[in-house]
Amino acid sequence: MKGSQVAVTGVGETAYVRATDRSVLELMVEAARKAIADAGLEPNDIDGMVAPAAYHLDEIQFALGIEDMPFTAAASIMIAGAATVGSGLQLAQLAIESGLAKHVLVPFGLKCSNPGGPRGIHSSDPLKADLEMPVGYFGQPAYFAAVANRYEYEFGLTEEELASVAISTRKWAALTPSAQKRDPLDMAGYQRSPMIATPLRIADCCLMTDGAGAYVVSSVERAMDMPQKPVVVAGVGTAAGSLPLSQALTQNRSLLELPARKSAERVFAMAGVGAKDLDLAQVYDCFSPNVAVQVEMLGLAEEGQGFKFFASGAGAPGGSMPVNTSGGHLAGGYVPGINLLIEGVRQLRGDRGEAQVAGARVCGVAGLGGSSHATAILTQVQ
Amino acid sequence: MGIPQFPPRFDTSLVKPFYEGLAEGELRMPACPECGKLHWYPPEVLPCHPERKAEWRSVSPEGKVYTFTTVTRSLLPGDDNATAPYEVVLVEPDALPGAKIVGLFVGGTQPSCGQRVRLSPVDTGGDVSLPGFQPAAD
Repeated sequence: MKGSQVAVTGVGETAYVRATDRSVLELMVEAARKAIADAGLEPNDIDGMVAPAAYHLDEIQFALGIEDMPFTAAASIMIAGAATVGSGLQLAQLAIESGLAKHVLVPFGLKCSNPGGPRGIHSSDPLKADLEMPVGYFGQPAYFAAVANRYEYEFGLTEEELASVAISTRKWAALTPSAQKRDPLDMAGYQRSPMIATPLRIADCCLMTDGAGAYVVSSVERAMDMPQKPVVVAGVGTAAGSLPLSQALTQNRSLLELPARKSAERVFAMAGVGAKDLDLAQVYDCFSPNVAVQVEMLGLAEEGQGFKFFASGAGAPGGSMPVNTSGGHLAGGYVPGINLLIEGVRQLRGDRGEAQVAGARVCGVAGLGGSSHATAILTQVQ
Repeated sequence: MGIPQFPPRFDTSLVKPFYEGLAEGELRMPACPECGKLHWYPPEVLPCHPERKAEWRSVSPEGKVYTFTTVTRSLLPGDDNATAPYEVVLVEPDALPGAKIVGLFVGGTQPSCGQRVRLSPVDTGGDVSLPGFQPAAD
């Protein structure tokens, strides 16, 4: 196996809840402190940070009392496939491999309970405001409901197949004490879930979460002397779609197409592995149709077989390719990308208790951000 | 099926000619005056000839449904859902295959992918007509 020279050496998360009075900054600082402690470091050992916005960099550095920060960068969740999986990890890797930093902190936090919630990014777009909202086409559930109906037309999609993504993911959440939605979900329960935009029900949509996560990236060499079992970043593949976000959800020639194919191809070449070498995967599941399409593009299922992959139980506990083993975004918490990456790290450490995937050595982590995509591959030390 | 009460804000002038066309029962799209290429969504900068400004043209009012959804719970800001559900279609216009015009389906039935449709602007009782599409002959 090829790969980079960096490892994830510390991870931390806040509780994932529907709403909290605490600020995004408070949440991010809590997650950052936990990740730094998990890595066996003190805040002043951190000499690099990649945060979602410039403002977070200053505030988090101040809150952690870090004197000097030689490497700082901001990476939005809307670029490079959710920065926490894509550009955040990629920038940390570049900073460490080039000698600019020794330990890079990557924090991310979100409050879906804030006014406008996660839809603000779309309502502020003038083209959406003038060409989509006036006819009621607004909000991520509607966009991905349209994707599901197209999928049904091209490949076929039964109600049971659609439901299987949510049901499979909920089984993992039930095994995960920190997951936000752990009550069991069966077909009858799925059918009771309120419809939002046909055919998507609330159960097909990611949760609304207030929470934060953070991780620390260090060189593999240093990681060998740190307290946690090192989890190597074998590669980070990113790809940007050719259309801007204002158009990507309507004007792609095929709305079933994502840059996931390219990001996967890139990361497999970097890491020297293929889809068949993965033991498990964490796949950005903002909505059921997206995860089914990405599973196909990562090569875990044939084209048109993504939903059938879940319906067969392949992604569920005991399945041949466990997917979203902490409940992902549908049932674990919607902290875009970062909880998926943290879960990948914990699985490869062998720390996952009831949800531990036996023999987990190579984990794919896929992130979707705006019109871009990232796939990272995490491995145990060879 | 309902009609949303969420008229365009016209924060930019980019899409005004589209609504002017609808008011006259026409489908209009922006074209490059240099090479004639149609573009959708209306671009701020023409990718084909960035130095030129798009000119709007009347095009065929027909196309086919690429996909659709019935929005049963509106997520529009401030929407109390009094007007939902909305039957939304993404229509590939014959004039520019691959593009999608987002509109209301006013056929009275459920739309289906691949279905032929024709522009049928929806009068909202307000200042603007919305893009609506009704079934057309194959």
